[in-house]
Amino acid sequence: MNVSLKWLKTYIDFDFSPKELADRLTMLGIEVESIKHLGAGLEGVVVGKVESISPHPNADKLIRCQVDIGDENNLQIVCGAPNVYQGMFAPVATIGTELPTGITIKRAKLRGEESHGMLCSEKELALSDDASGLMELSSNLSVGMPLTEALGLNDVILELEITPNRPDCLSMRGVAREIRAETGNTIKYPEVALIGIDIEGDTDIREITSVTIADPDLCPRYAARVIQNVKVAESPTWVKQRLESVGIGAINNIVDITNFVLMEYGQPLHAFDYHKLAENRIVVRRAMENETITTLDEVERKLNPNMLVIADAEKPVALAGVMGGYDSEITETTKDVLLESANFHPASIRSTSKEHGLHTEASYRFERGVDPEVVISALDRAAQLIVEIAGGTICKGVLDVYPGRKKPLKIRLRKDRVNFILGTSIEVEEIEQTLSRLGFGIEPNQTEVDSFDITVPSFRLDITREIDLIEEIARVHGYDNIPTTLPKGDIPIPPLNKHEKVRKCIRNFLLSSGMMEAVNYSFIHPNSFEKIRLNDDHPLCEATKLQNPLSPEMSILRTTLIPSLLDNAQHNHNHQINNIALFEMSSVFINGNEPDRVAGILAGEIGGGVYGNPYRPPDFFDIKGIAEGILEVCGIQGYELKQTEEPTYHPGRNGEVVLGETQIGIIGEVHPGVLENYELPFKAYLFDFDIEKITDAAVFSKRFEPIPIYPSIQRDLAIVVDQDLKSDMPMDIINTTGGEWVESIRLFDVYEGNQVPGGKKSLAYTITYHSATETLTDKAVNDRHDKIVQRLNKELGAELRM
Amino acid sequence: MKAELESIQTEVLEQLKEITSPDDLETLRITYFGRNGKLTDIMKGMGKLSKEERPIVGKFANDVRATLTDAFEKTKKELEIRKQKQQLTGETIDITLPGRKPAYGKAHPVIQTLERIETIFTQMGFQTVTGPEVETEHYNFDALNTPPDHPARDLHDTFYLTDGKLLRTHTSPVQIRIMESQKPPLRIIVPGKAYRVDYDVSHTPMFHQVEGLLVDKHVTFSELKGVLVSFARQMFGDQTQMRFRPHFFPFTEPSAEADITCTVCQGKGCRTCGYTGWVEILGAGAVDPEVFKAVNYDPEEITGFAFGMGVERIANLQFRIPDIRTFYENDLRFLKQF
Ligand SMILES: [Zn+2]
Repeated sequence: MNVSLKWLKTYIDFDFSPKELADRLTMLGIEVESIKHLGAGLEGVVVGKVESISPHPNADKLIRCQVDIGDENNLQIVCGAPNVYQGMFAPVATIGTELPTGITIKRAKLRGEESHGMLCSEKELALSDDASGLMELSSNLSVGMPLTEALGLNDVILELEITPNRPDCLSMRGVAREIRAETGNTIKYPEVALIGIDIEGDTDIREITSVTIADPDLCPRYAARVIQNVKVAESPTWVKQRLESVGIGAINNIVDITNFVLMEYGQPLHAFDYHKLAENRIVVRRAMENETITTLDEVERKLNPNMLVIADAEKPVALAGVMGGYDSEITETTKDVLLESANFHPASIRSTSKEHGLHTEASYRFERGVDPEVVISALDRAAQLIVEIAGGTICKGVLDVYPGRKKPLKIRLRKDRVNFILGTSIEVEEIEQTLSRLGFGIEPNQTEVDSFDITVPSFRLDITREIDLIEEIARVHGYDNIPTTLPKGDIPIPPLNKHEKVRKCIRNFLLSSGMMEAVNYSFIHPNSFEKIRLNDDHPLCEATKLQNPLSPEMSILRTTLIPSLLDNAQHNHNHQINNIALFEMSSVFINGNEPDRVAGILAGEIGGGVYGNPYRPPDFFDIKGIAEGILEVCGIQGYELKQTEEPTYHPGRNGEVVLGETQIGIIGEVHPGVLENYELPFKAYLFDFDIEKITDAAVFSKRFEPIPIYPSIQRDLAIVVDQDLKSDMPMDIINTTGGEWVESIRLFDVYEGNQVPGGKKSLAYTITYHSATETLTDKAVNDRHDKIVQRLNKELGAELRM
Repeated sequence: MKAELESIQTEVLEQLKEITSPDDLETLRITYFGRNGKLTDIMKGMGKLSKEERPIVGKFANDVRATLTDAFEKTKKELEIRKQKQQLTGETIDITLPGRKPAYGKAHPVIQTLERIETIFTQMGFQTVTGPEVETEHYNFDALNTPPDHPARDLHDTFYLTDGKLLRTHTSPVQIRIMESQKPPLRIIVPGKAYRVDYDVSHTPMFHQVEGLLVDKHVTFSELKGVLVSFARQMFGDQTQMRFRPHFFPFTEPSAEADITCTVCQGKGCRTCGYTGWVEILGAGAVDPEVFKAVNYDPEEITGFAFGMGVERIANLQFRIPDIRTFYENDLRFLKQF
């Protein structure tokens, strides 16, 4: 909400600079988002009167003007505006002025004629885009007056952020009350006196109209007055300036007055053309099914019984609390006005305004809550202003239907509780002062010491409990004045969190192995499953849809991390970054569960890319090595790798990691079809693990194993076997034959090619022999090694490669 | 004979000075010490000496031999050092060539920030807990004192799912879940993802939050200030000032927003802070009694405070990324910067 300081000052005095006031309001919880000095840059601009004009001797398009700006002598100003005339009032930028548009006014000679200032257009003053001619000012202004004063621009506008709990601050009076809490200054309410003075006419309102509330649950109060014989016209300048300063456009005097009072009291009002109401009466009721109304914005809207309307005898004439109807609006021909001041149920207004996507100053306030007690004073204030500005007479009496009247709320407040909650030592006097300045009634409780019975003012709908009062005291006391202490209570002992530990181990391992961490949105495009070649019946395709997605790309919850990582690979490749090594840890969304997963991708090039460590394409065993590392850091052993038919992967180059019966992850080369879908011109490798399952299997207890004291002996072994032999079979034989002497087996070379016969491959191992109890002799090792060779030959047909 | 020995000693020592290669040294050694070497010859002549002379000359001869042997050894070492030096000089490399850095990955900048926040609170005794991202209206709103028609719901533009559930708009529902299952005292933080329908340079539809909750028999607003001020000092530096402004959250009362001195201008005022010198970093407040009632705690007896902060926002105070959507593009040129 915008607040004009000039306007605000008509209700309460304060000596703060705009910045100071902004700071104080902010620290009271009314955050000031901006401070705007309206006339900034126009300080050197004054009202001038063109006393005489004469042609420029040397230029056809220029005119010499003698301009009175209230000084002894007129100024000569050379001007080229087409609309200048003798006697015109226009703004004059005096010498030395730096205009908001950046122009600095200097003494100048234009084609040989002196010019002592500039007559300005609205555009040159940055007031509008109008550059067609000089800005014409009212001839009622006094010459030499600062333009900011003349236009009401000597004002500062604060833009306030009012939190949803404080609708009482959505008015000048509301903000004034906050300043009263801060300063203790009194608020000057406008004088409203209708009764008994001559503006109230003879006609009794009860004779010419009536108000019926059919649905009092949605309308606690409805009041109306009728003003007859008004003259609808443009508003006087002061009304327009007030409204414009807070960003409300002027329409006509009647509507402008309702807006003026809205800003003043926070009470939305509506003016109907009395004669356009069927039977000239008001019925507040729910809309009927399929009823329609054309609102002021000339949109025809369909209504239903959830919506409250203001109707006449026949049809809806306003969407209650949201917007008036087009057919009953005030026009130039309006003679008699029925003025509405009412209170509506917040939830009802909220749903109606939401359903129609119609958010107005009125609905904004009603859906947050408006003081039901302000209805009459706002109505009277507006009626009085209408008579003052638009003439006419007010019918005798007011219609005030008030089925929702409530007793003022009383709350017990204990001083000790205030200090208990806040950690302060606030005294009784401060509590009394604060609450009374905020408009609360205070009575000491009869039975309890330092305890009060607080009466809540009708405008503070947000205050219903003791804790709410404590907040009021806290904010006026100043949060900064509350001590800063450390908690005194016990620190609870946290339970061991194995899942977190597993996560950290895996993450540290992946980071240390050179993979970058990615974080992706949880939403993906529904076509992602097709892109990773999953059939519709694949369990991962059962994804939850968003009801209101931002875009198709973000319309379902991901059940797998793989599409996101492939998208990342594609994005990077499209930007010529091809050394792709990324992983992500995140939960996914499957059947109402949110299993935590870790997945990664290697693609394009790996390696340092510097001499001695050139780039090379990754292969299956790079991703396998990473998978093995993940399992190793979690202490998981005894798992198997089994080929699967997961469609995302190359059918001959993938494997699921299985522990007992449980699949804990899958690794493999990305299927060429998937690569094509992601427009990747190189191979890519994925791993994808279930962190929960790793957690279940993880073993972190470690026991010391003695460091070998006897020396070990190494033997290399190169064998030629069938090409399709799985490399774990020779491993197995070496292990079982070598027995406990085999400390480690390292496969250091795999070769297929010219050096071996067709259909064969060579595998080269280094076997380390070691005994925990003796120094092994060469002979003993050779015997054991020979046995291994014999068994490899007998069982796998392996030939020693020389 | 003695004279002869003396002259050989002088002669050899002179010649050694001229030696420049191990080969020359060996030749010289053979010339004197070899089977037919000059010194060997003289030693052979020892037998001709008288019985009285023999021990005297013998001793002298041994001294000469020892002196010369030492001299040879010394020269040999010098030659070796010289040779090694020469060799090493020849092995000079261009030390300005690039180093071979072992590959290492980097954590995502948002996660880095999240971990820093987590560490600070862990040191203050807060335990990390997590909860589901798909939530019910009950946990995300109702139990947090935000009934369906509450205007505060407008502050959270919510993603709804087709099954009637929603994506949590904050990590606060976990507060409720924890309080339902545990008794005070509680000191928890809840890091995690949250979602709101928002997509512009300063908003992403998914973002990270860290929620904190401290509940005990007598927790005060002043302790909330204490915990958050010490957090801010550790996170942003010792000089950081923090101010608390009244604000509104449905599930805390009194509620506050906390600002820290602008990290760009140190509080002097700049564009980042809108010339106020302050930047908002979190929301907080004393737990609202209604929330305690929803989890069957007695609000007369139990008090507490909660706070919540946006991780991207805090990360960006440091990184100053003009469009925070960049965080989730996972462009490697971006990720490698942090
Ligand atoms: Zn700043």
